[in-house]
Amino acid sequence: MMTLASYLFISFALFAAGVAVIIARKNIIAMLLGIELMLNAAALNFAAYTRFLNNNYEGHIMSLFIIVIAAAEAAVGLAIVIRFFQIRDSIHVDDATQLQS
Amino acid sequence: MALSYLANISRYIPELILCFTMVGLILIEATYGDKEKGSSKGYLFGFAFIGLLSSLVYLVQALPMAPVSLFTNAVVIDPFSTLAKIIMVLGTGFCIYLNKVSKDIYEDMKSEYTIIAVGVLIGGMLLASANNMLILYIGIETLSILSYVLASLKKHDSRSSEAGLKYVLYGGVSGGIMLFGMSHIFGMVGTIQFAELIHVLPTLDNSKLLILMPSFILFFAGIGYKISCVPFHMWTPDVYEGSPLPVTTFFSIVPKVAGIAALVRVSMTFFGSDSSVLQMSWVALLSVAAALTMTVGNVSAIGQRSVKRMLAYSSISHAGVMMLGVLVLSDIGVKAILFYGITYLFMTLVAFFVTSFVQDKYGNDHFERFNGLMSKHPVMAICMIVVMFSLAGLPPLSGFVAKFNILSAILSKKYYVLAIITVLNSVVSLYYYMKIVRLMVFKESESSEGIAGFSFTNQVIISALCIPVVVLGIFWDKIILLADGAKIFIK
Repeated sequence: MMTLASYLFISFALFAAGVAVIIARKNIIAMLLGIELMLNAAALNFAAYTRFLNNNYEGHIMSLFIIVIAAAEAAVGLAIVIRFFQIRDSIHVDDATQLQS
Repeated sequence: MALSYLANISRYIPELILCFTMVGLILIEATYGDKEKGSSKGYLFGFAFIGLLSSLVYLVQALPMAPVSLFTNAVVIDPFSTLAKIIMVLGTGFCIYLNKVSKDIYEDMKSEYTIIAVGVLIGGMLLASANNMLILYIGIETLSILSYVLASLKKHDSRSSEAGLKYVLYGGVSGGIMLFGMSHIFGMVGTIQFAELIHVLPTLDNSKLLILMPSFILFFAGIGYKISCVPFHMWTPDVYEGSPLPVTTFFSIVPKVAGIAALVRVSMTFFGSDSSVLQMSWVALLSVAAALTMTVGNVSAIGQRSVKRMLAYSSISHAGVMMLGVLVLSDIGVKAILFYGITYLFMTLVAFFVTSFVQDKYGNDHFERFNGLMSKHPVMAICMIVVMFSLAGLPPLSGFVAKFNILSAILSKKYYVLAIITVLNSVVSLYYYMKIVRLMVFKESESSEGIAGFSFTNQVIISALCIPVVVLGIFWDKIILLADGAKIFIK
């Protein structure tokens, strides 16, 4: 029997995993993956809350929009990463240090 | 049903005009873009300016109209959001002009800047009138995703692509955090509509409030990132420095005004009426964030070598002052913010225009490049001095009146400590603003050669932008009376 609590637990685990990836990994692609995890955690939350607590469809609409916008964000993010890679020959965040006073 | 949709659209014309402008710009660029250099640019800029101007005309004539909420309460059009939109449209127009004349953007990128800037403007207008969480999120993401592209517009420059990269990473993280907070708010109150949320919030029991409090903090992360308030400000100096100068100008006006407008709307609708635990914690959060934002912005601005980076930090501290107006949670604070937004627009534009032409001449924007500007271009130097005094908040200029309004708003709620911090910050900021004035007036320039960017047209435009800075400082009571007449906000 899946209750609301188990969905919330999974989504919190996803969110924590996303944050951990962003903090721990130095690879930019991995960091973008971490951002996706965080967004998916939120989308799962919206779907779960709608399923268990509410009778309206606002949460479902919200999670659909999250999926679309996450895709758009990933597309632009990857384009910028490719540009960065062509210039610096690296996708390591530690190499992005030119702009520091 | 169909009729009500038509009626809705008639109040949504400014945004629609801009959407068509953006599509038209893409078509023009696709049709004429490959032709020899310069021939398509005339059509493109002409079309962009016509679109912005007609949108501005519609906005101005919609200003006295009664507030309505459109599209099943998703979007609200009231005098507050209309004024914020007017500020944004004006800012975008001048930024597109700066893009046209600046050398900091590659010749073949100028059209892309125009297209994307109009897109960001649409996102900002959506954000300023958002009345449910979905529209708020879509607005923030439209604003952000297009801004990432703008930041890395100089695509062969390593600093610009690094700026874009940092913007993407910070933006994505804060967007994710905000969404996670939103999802829990939705779960606790059961709706994403702000209009229904207000009625549900006072009826909640303590266990739900316990979950709502951290959720609101997470939610604040998204908006706080857009207005670069302090825990989320790390990207600002880097992105502002790495981006080309017309882009920096744009970033310090449109996303910031849109973010402040969204913050005002969220604070006023959720916490404007009742005095609960939630409201107190929100005010506490905002006041700590605002005090930190002002202080960190000003203190970091002191040691900078690059004028652009200094202006970036100064824009952080100005966002902090505007946040002070939000935490008052009353109409007087909202009016003070609007006035601050208008003056901030003109001050920022003049400062960045002058910096941009100086940078085009010398290739960088270090402080010593301003040496002896007074003897070479006296009019420009005087404009810059006026703006620097105004940014620092000295009377009788509009920057002083704007700060004074904010201070009187927070004093009406007896936040004395915050007022003292604001005044002290104003003193600190005087140091780095006066540094430019000192260099311009008292230092000798190494060469007596003039700056080509200061052509007659550009000088006229900069001086014209400078006039409101002075006039608003002297005749401000008329403007405030005007704002009193209109009912700023609907609840």
